[in-house]
Amino acid sequence: MVSGGSPDATIWRPCVSEVRFSRTTYAPEPVEERELISRVLAGDPSAERALYDAHVDRVFRLAYRMAGDMDKAQDYTQETFIRAFSRLQTFRGDAALSTWLGSIAISVTLNGLRKVRRRNEREVGLDDFTPAGPTRQEADPDLKTRLNQAIDGLPEGYRAVFIMHDVEGYTHEEIGATLGVHPGTSKAQLFRARARLRETLADFAKD
Amino acid sequence: MMDDRFDDLLRDSAREYNDPPETPREELWQRIVASREGEKAAPKEKTEKLERLRVLPFRRLPAIRPLSWAAGIAAVLALGIGLGRMTVHQPATVATTAAAPASAAATRVSGVAYRVATTEHLSQSEAFLTLFRASVGKPGNERLASATARQLLATNRLLLDSPAASDARTKLLLQDLELVLAEIAQLSPEPRSRDLQLITDGMEQGGVLSRLRTAVPAGTSATQGAL
Repeated sequence: MVSGGSPDATIWRPCVSEVRFSRTTYAPEPVEERELISRVLAGDPSAERALYDAHVDRVFRLAYRMAGDMDKAQDYTQETFIRAFSRLQTFRGDAALSTWLGSIAISVTLNGLRKVRRRNEREVGLDDFTPAGPTRQEADPDLKTRLNQAIDGLPEGYRAVFIMHDVEGYTHEEIGATLGVHPGTSKAQLFRARARLRETLADFAKD
Repeated sequence: MMDDRFDDLLRDSAREYNDPPETPREELWQRIVASREGEKAAPKEKTEKLERLRVLPFRRLPAIRPLSWAAGIAAVLALGIGLGRMTVHQPATVATTAAAPASAAATRVSGVAYRVATTEHLSQSEAFLTLFRASVGKPGNERLASATARQLLATNRLLLDSPAASDARTKLLLQDLELVLAEIAQLSPEPRSRDLQLITDGMEQGGVLSRLRTAVPAGTSATQGAL
């Protein structure tokens, strides 16, 4: 997916990897979106549902890709929409609503995953348990398995950018707006993430 | 060239990374609605109760839910007794932890002193967390709980910086306890049920309370005096 460029890059953009909905039926137009937001703020429950329906797939997909777990993905998606509805009056409309929702989703997801990681680290430390990662890597030469492990092992920032760009098909502009960084930073992080993966999977790269 | 081919392969394979299933739209929506209604209902219920109390004539007040009043008073009393016991013992704990490294002669006995201080602290923390967990959902004790947690947190940090934490198991327990106490200490006077749930979930998932009970020898639990 080429980053940026298209005039509608800042509004809704379905992922390239698995397009299930056409843009025409799925993308809220900016005017409709503004109207929808006004109706939600006025307390219209059907507008709340419409807003949810328009964005839930994208939020859920991102949460699931990041968490890799159904329960966690549901928790993070739920938390994202609860926060979004309670803070919708602070949405200024500088970016697309999908971008604003994405930034809430990524923040909720990363915080949730950090919490889980902290707990796991403490529990592992207590039980003096040796992680099975590298051993499993050596035992399983399958590229997908190795790649999944390598992506899991990426630093948080690289992983988020890699998943958003290479897996979910976001543009660097969208990633920048969602993560609150410059698109150039997103490009640099993606470059480093790929380099890290190439390094980890060096034996496959040679083949 | 090879890098480009590998990048393409990487992208193709990566698309299956944590491949999401179909979004459980309805289930998620129900959860969101229920959670938002719960949040809305909690403060509303509280305001309604206050309003009801305000409009009722004074003589009718004692008749309102006598059991809940009694339970509330009992909970406050239990917390008060627990707090009282903690504050009576605390100077000794702090003095022990601060004075221990003072001399070489004291070093020989400090091991025992630290163990006693740690056991005392863990026992008090266990009593406090037991009371806290039991009082979740019964509003009104948050301020007291927060103040008690702050006191225990101070002792906890002193112990973490002392030789008492040289034992890896004790150190981990103190670190986990610190996290829970810090969360309770930061509790707002009117916490949301979700905040309380997060704290109790944290306690459950880390097994803090059960580990405290394991660490405290039988017969030293502060709950015995408090409850």
